[in-house]
Amino acid sequence: MRSQLTWRVLLWHLVLSATVVVLLFAVAWAVLTSLRPASAVFGLEPVAPTLEHYARVLQRWPVATLVGNTFVMAAGVALGQVVIGCLAAYALVHLAPRGRRPVLALMTVSLAIPPQALIVPQYLMATRLGWLNSEAGLIVPQLGSSALAVLVLVQHVRALPVSAAEAARLDGALPREVLWHVVLPALRPAIAAVAVLVFITTWNDYLWPLLIAPRAADTTVQIGLSQFTTAEGNDYGGLLAAATLTSLPILLVYLVASRQITEAFMQRGAR
Amino acid sequence: MSTAPASRLQMQELTKRYGTTTALDRVDLDVPPGSFTAVVGPSGCGKTTLLRLLSGLEPATSGALLADGRDLTRVPAGERGVAMVFQDYALYPHMDVAANISFGLRLQARRRRGAGPDRATIARRTREVAELLELGELLHRRPDQLSGGQRQRVALARAVVRRPPVLLLDEPLAALDAQLRASARAGLQRLHREIGATVVMVTHDQHEAMTMSDHLVVMKDGRVVQAARPQEVYAAPVDRFVATFVGSPPMNLRPGPGDGVLGWRAEDGRLLAPGEEAPAGHLLVEGTAELCEFTGSAQDVVCHDGTTSFTLRQQSGTRWLQAGEPVRCAVAPQRLHHFDRDGRRTG
Repeated sequence: MRSQLTWRVLLWHLVLSATVVVLLFAVAWAVLTSLRPASAVFGLEPVAPTLEHYARVLQRWPVATLVGNTFVMAAGVALGQVVIGCLAAYALVHLAPRGRRPVLALMTVSLAIPPQALIVPQYLMATRLGWLNSEAGLIVPQLGSSALAVLVLVQHVRALPVSAAEAARLDGALPREVLWHVVLPALRPAIAAVAVLVFITTWNDYLWPLLIAPRAADTTVQIGLSQFTTAEGNDYGGLLAAATLTSLPILLVYLVASRQITEAFMQRGAR
Repeated sequence: MSTAPASRLQMQELTKRYGTTTALDRVDLDVPPGSFTAVVGPSGCGKTTLLRLLSGLEPATSGALLADGRDLTRVPAGERGVAMVFQDYALYPHMDVAANISFGLRLQARRRRGAGPDRATIARRTREVAELLELGELLHRRPDQLSGGQRQRVALARAVVRRPPVLLLDEPLAALDAQLRASARAGLQRLHREIGATVVMVTHDQHEAMTMSDHLVVMKDGRVVQAARPQEVYAAPVDRFVATFVGSPPMNLRPGPGDGVLGWRAEDGRLLAPGEEAPAGHLLVEGTAELCEFTGSAQDVVCHDGTTSFTLRQQSGTRWLQAGEPVRCAVAPQRLHHFDRDGRRTG
């Protein structure tokens, strides 16, 4: 029994380690390449690391502006989707339980529609509203795809005991007070998890910012990165240095919230 | 802690339907002010639904609920002057004990700007209630740092801090282990005396219901079968269901006379000495002792007579029986309960 357990654990760790190696390979390759001199970017032989690409990127590429724009977009979308998700989840579970099934079914179906299919009408609407090259254009249309956030938060709200909310009602709390004082505090890990996942997805988004914010000063990191690949030739060293630099904020966000994310998924697993 | 006014609750044809199932079927019930009313019945009898309708957590399908003559049927849950202790206590997990207790008062204060209780009042009343329920030392603990008994007392404190005229208890002892239950029972009764509110307690445990209440309501299939003092319910059950549901062991029953049914309580059978004749007019029952349960002051003997079984309770001072012994006992005519073929009491 005991040795069986050990073998199992060993096997598990082998599988997990292999996965980590595969996942880390691309990242490691990018970071290592960004440190190689331009003359030896594609080589495999060991060379003295250099920061020349980083220096060039920081000098000629608007890192601060792009990161700032992207942060505003990602944070705005994450915040907006969390607010929508919390309100919708509370309403669907506590206020209108009968409407829950059809609404959730519709939302689940909407997940199957690729965002690219809707991007032309979305673009036309946004430009007519005058949102080209603006924060509103980057953020507001993306709030329409809150279905996943709603679905995840509905599961978490349903997992909470109803009696605490009912006790609050008997204590004289109005629905918004029940939401604020009883439901939201219990949802904190789930909210953190959803916010971070939406933040990262939005941060990495390419197509929508490319369409709605083509101007260099208003666009996001991902669009900015494409400047390193041009018809005249590709600056791989610069591209990878910039990519490494601009993934640091995401790493930071994840590190800050990782405990809560793990907690949120552990909670779901434990049930 | 001053006592709150206690409300008289009246239900008139109160009905609750979920789709096609009827959870409560035209319940007419009068709950005396200041009483400790226990609602008891098998699971699915509608007792929890009744409590949820009283609290306002769910609307009635039809019928009316009055408190001191005032129609509460459409009054929202928070404005009824009705507090409730949930079976799982439903404490706010992220708030400490003091915050749990004072939550309702703090909402009031915020909403009514000046007209509600001020900070000092809230703090004083929280302290008073905490002391009453022996929670004084625990005010800054969070629910997950409390034992089951402590959580139950926090739930009670939170319910009574606003001095509700009506306090509802949903299986308040079910989540406690057996050792704690006796002291929690005494605590509940003491609390009832202190606050004076009308208490309505729902339980599936007839023993708990009988020992704690001064008004006992027996329910079955969404209807109230009997509502009276527990002594009266025990002494004169309105039908066979109440006779066998209330009291432990359940009332002994056997067919006769005619197509009716005769019943008697275990303690009303008198063991006859070998050869002793049953007095005239007495019911004579005979059987063999199968199971002898000694409870300290008494002995419950389950006997079998070939077709049915009955229980005989012997008080101390008599000869204890042993399994396998023949048992003959007599029941005095005034101790017999008569039910007709539909199970209704006829005498």
